[in-house]
Amino acid sequence: MRRYLAVLRGTAMVGLVYRFGYFFAILGNLLYIGIVYFLWRSIYQGRDTLRGLTFNETMVYIALGSTIFFLLKTYSDWIIHFEIREGIIATYLIKPMDFQTYALFAVLGSTIMNIFAISIPTVLFMIFVLKVSFATGIGLALFPLSFIFALVISFCIDFFVGLMGFYSESVWGISYVKEVILMFSSGALIPLQFFPDGIREILLWLPFQAVFHTPLMMVTKPKLELDTFIPMLGIQAFWAIALIILTRLFYHQAIKVLRISGG
Amino acid sequence: MSLIHIKDLGKYFKILNRREGLAGAFKDLFSGDYRTVKAVDGISFDINAGEIVGYIGPNGAGKSTTIKMMTGILKPSSGMILINDHVPYDNRIKQAQIMGVVFGQRTQLWWDLPVIESFKILKEIYKVDQKTFDQHMGMFNDLVGLGALYSQQVRTLSLGQRMLCDITASFLHNPQVVFLDEPTIGLDISVKAKIRSLIKELNRERNTTIILTTHDLGDVEALCQRIIIIDKGKILYDGDIKKVNALFGAYRTIKLQIDGFTDSTMQQLQEKLKDKFGMTHGITTAQTEEFWTDVTIDQARTPLSDVLGFSMSNFKISDVRIVEISMENVVQKVYDGALG
Repeated sequence: MRRYLAVLRGTAMVGLVYRFGYFFAILGNLLYIGIVYFLWRSIYQGRDTLRGLTFNETMVYIALGSTIFFLLKTYSDWIIHFEIREGIIATYLIKPMDFQTYALFAVLGSTIMNIFAISIPTVLFMIFVLKVSFATGIGLALFPLSFIFALVISFCIDFFVGLMGFYSESVWGISYVKEVILMFSSGALIPLQFFPDGIREILLWLPFQAVFHTPLMMVTKPKLELDTFIPMLGIQAFWAIALIILTRLFYHQAIKVLRISGG
Repeated sequence: MSLIHIKDLGKYFKILNRREGLAGAFKDLFSGDYRTVKAVDGISFDINAGEIVGYIGPNGAGKSTTIKMMTGILKPSSGMILINDHVPYDNRIKQAQIMGVVFGQRTQLWWDLPVIESFKILKEIYKVDQKTFDQHMGMFNDLVGLGALYSQQVRTLSLGQRMLCDITASFLHNPQVVFLDEPTIGLDISVKAKIRSLIKELNRERNTTIILTTHDLGDVEALCQRIIIIDKGKILYDGDIKKVNALFGAYRTIKLQIDGFTDSTMQQLQEKLKDKFGMTHGITTAQTEEFWTDVTIDQARTPLSDVLGFSMSNFKISDVRIVEISMENVVQKVYDGALG
């Protein structure tokens, strides 16, 4: 375990090296939230609620949505594909560690950095500058767990796509398809409430919504009953475990191909 | 018992016969037209603890494939490998602990971080205890002044500095065997010398077994007592370097640019050299590139200066280059039976 924590520490430090990039990421995010704030303020002019949502709720949904979406993008598909194509993967395979666990901890390191560098400043900005108030409730307590599940699911999907680099040299195509499916069926592009009932029912069972919709619900509607959250967490847990097993099998298969047919 | 035991090792790749053009590329999607390439074709050798072995051969000879099998990345198609009595690809994680590898073309250091951080991460990955770590870092500092580079980002290092870091990093966990794949590629003479002395020193200090693949015969001359020459997946020679040394140590090629060169010039040169030195004195002539005549001599039998002086006094020569013999030439000479 200590060896993987060292990797986590490493990628977190890589994040710090590029503090200038962080500065702009924070600035860009704050700018985005500022624009959204004034846009929705003018839409809400003279009205208390729109479609049952107050101004405050809409702000929280959009601002936290953009932050969470950013946090859950692991880019593992691109990184792993690059490492396979350039043969860098050989330098991992000669080390006494498991490549998939290594890749997961590398993602965790940069995600932790992103939480401190981007998410926390965003939330502080919303509370102290825009005077947006956050609802509290049981959902907030469940959020960290839900977020970890979401991150594992997101990582597994990206890792799976990245591994296709062993079979195909053009992973970018697959990666774009994945990106579109994820944007669309996770609720990141259009909130799931706006989908027709039948399609929404199906989407709620898929792993994609578990990446984005579920953790976002926890922070935007924390006052919902525990009974609503438990099944959502259940679906997340199921997909997290199922995808770990699936990627594990695929990883072993891909490595076997590599060992037999070369890089 | 030897540290590395290899018996009848083979590695075959199935390669799709690709067709030409776009239409061909489409047909290839459904093609079952494979041919088998024998990258490594039944090699056997044993290496003892503490040896430095030069594993050499031209491009595509099968060197890297052998290294990849020994490190457990590739699985052999036939035969067997035992390193420290274990099969590398079966206990990969356990075996990785006793090996160090440097691929000259890529780095195992963290590109964006200061040098020292890579060493700290490797310390955790290989579970090196603090005392050993301090002791090794001290040794590396004494050998190549690594301390001066600690705070520098890896991506800002020169190629030579990066290679010094990469090589020392591969010795950090005190491995029993270190594979160095082209460690001096792209480096200038003075850095090469530094790297060679580092490798020698590390081998002496820790009694680490080192397998060195290289294109630079100078590396082999400077470091190895034993040499294995491989070509087309088969071992051509395995033995004492002294015997092979004569092949590339003493041979030099003088490249001459002769004024007014015609088809008969080469003939004349050949005959004049023959009259003067006699054809048994290890002199051969050839033309490998336009305007240049190559005269390869065996310095053990005929002094280079004699041949050069003689040529210059008999022909109007506008330019001269002296080059060391190439890997391809050595392999050719081995094929021609030079090692008897």
